[in-house]
Amino acid sequence: MAKIGALGVLGDKQAWLPDIPKTPLMRRRMLWAYAFVAAPIIALIVFLLGPILFSGWVSLHRWDMLSPVSEMPWRGLSNYSYLLSKDPVFLKSLGNTFYFAIGGVGANTILGLGFALLLNSRIRGRAIWRVLYFMPVITAPLALAVMFSFIFDRNFGVVNNVITGLGLPRQPFLSGPNQALLTLVFIAVYQYIGYYIVIFLAGLQGIPQDYYDAAQVDGAGRIQEFRYITLPLLRPVMLFVVVTNTIGALQVFDLVFATTGGAPANSSMTVVLHMYNTAFKFSRMGRASAMAFILFAIIMLITIVQVRLLQDRAYGD
Amino acid sequence: MRDETASLQPLGDALKYLILVAGAFIMVFPFIWMMIASLMTAGEIQLRPPVWLPAEPQFRNYTELPQKIPIARLYFNSLFTSALIVFGVLLSSSLAGFAFAKYRFPGREFLFYLILATMMIPFFVTLIPVFFIVRQLGWIDTYQGLVAPGLTSAYGIFLMRQFIITLPDELIDAARIDGASELRIFWRIIVPLVKPALATLGTFAFIGAWNNFLWPLLVLNSRELMTLPLGINSMKSLYADNTNLLMAGTAVAVIPMLVVFIFLQRYFIQGIALTGLKG
Repeated sequence: MAKIGALGVLGDKQAWLPDIPKTPLMRRRMLWAYAFVAAPIIALIVFLLGPILFSGWVSLHRWDMLSPVSEMPWRGLSNYSYLLSKDPVFLKSLGNTFYFAIGGVGANTILGLGFALLLNSRIRGRAIWRVLYFMPVITAPLALAVMFSFIFDRNFGVVNNVITGLGLPRQPFLSGPNQALLTLVFIAVYQYIGYYIVIFLAGLQGIPQDYYDAAQVDGAGRIQEFRYITLPLLRPVMLFVVVTNTIGALQVFDLVFATTGGAPANSSMTVVLHMYNTAFKFSRMGRASAMAFILFAIIMLITIVQVRLLQDRAYGD
Repeated sequence: MRDETASLQPLGDALKYLILVAGAFIMVFPFIWMMIASLMTAGEIQLRPPVWLPAEPQFRNYTELPQKIPIARLYFNSLFTSALIVFGVLLSSSLAGFAFAKYRFPGREFLFYLILATMMIPFFVTLIPVFFIVRQLGWIDTYQGLVAPGLTSAYGIFLMRQFIITLPDELIDAARIDGASELRIFWRIIVPLVKPALATLGTFAFIGAWNNFLWPLLVLNSRELMTLPLGINSMKSLYADNTNLLMAGTAVAVIPMLVVFIFLQRYFIQGIALTGLKG
């Protein structure tokens, strides 16, 4: 079955023993290998590894990006303590981001699996359904944000046209403090559900038919089949869906930036948007970097917990 | 298929299709509504009671669009920068993946772990320093500033290594006996065999680059360099008073990509199922 992430990579121990080539021919090949990896490795150091270290360093300082790096005033952990105790917007955005992620991941997992089960059963035109559900996945989040800002508009949005047509009260959706975040969850689920349907569908089709045949011989019903065959064998896929979706949802930016911008009253402010504003509107690079590190730590922690939870059980079966 | 009982349940079947149709309607409706609204007059959009179709389709919303935003320029910028990124990702990933899969050299283990580690770094953690580096290089508001950070992909290297490692060593050995150079082995033997993986990786890289918003937003200032998502963003001021034009502009930015997708959907979806589970 599918192996998730890097966990299954380092299987062949032999290949990992360090060995320095002895013959000139082998040494020449070694040089070629270095030539092949040189540019990508340098690029990754310049654009990923270097920056993450630098970002950690900046998070301990006060910096506006204009003054020289060598003259950044040292602030120790005060950026972190400020964020966690004195910045109400950050704490609010953290809560919003969790809400957004939990709602989105929950809905995507349940609906994604549900629709994948439907499409995996005897159904006509599977390819067509798949295409229809997949369309938003490849559409720019910014375009979707514009489309849904219009659809959910308080005054002339089509959803409110229908609602008021039915005699119900007009809803604010994206402009309502109690509805903005929930509406964003809806849009995000709309955007990615097709991706998770495809993933779940591939997982379902990877389950050998024999298991179901055997279960039917034993007189198992559909629900028992689902409970004792489909779900356990789908755990690796479930792990992939939950982990990648959580990681992605916690980083949401485009959608919020282009719909609510965090409004009204920060009720839909998310961490990355707040970080963006802090850094590029208010030039507080230290504080923004600290924000990034707190979110990064949270993402790693959640990922570890999810992998533990879902994988232990997968191997327990 | 497995549920023979299902054919005995026309009611269950009807319910299945009902759910699928309802779901598909929700998925497609925003696109259709965008198209309909793009053909309305600005007034029709705001009418109460609302109208569902334009009295007369306003095609001039489209023909007059180039006066509002440089559509052709946006397309060129998006295509050009996305193509550069796809090319860079494919070349660097397959070369490095080849080296990690088929060569032995000191430091291989360390470097590969390094790449695995960078795969887990989210973009927002490096955003500020990368912006700073690009600014120090004087690359703000240039194509190279937009493209450079995206030319390599740790995930791409990992993916290509995983594919190339499954190829038999005998192929490479035989080519070496025939006197082929290392570059020739890469180009003539490895690349043709990993074309499906390259197609998948290229598709992902393309969609990622094409839809990217935050990085272009930070790096680009001038209208001449704007990509499509930035173009849509710059049109947002048309909202409310000229929502019809905003929808026309968004449709022009979105629909061609969807058409391409519908023609190539099989490869898209196969690739996603493949790498989604492998990665």
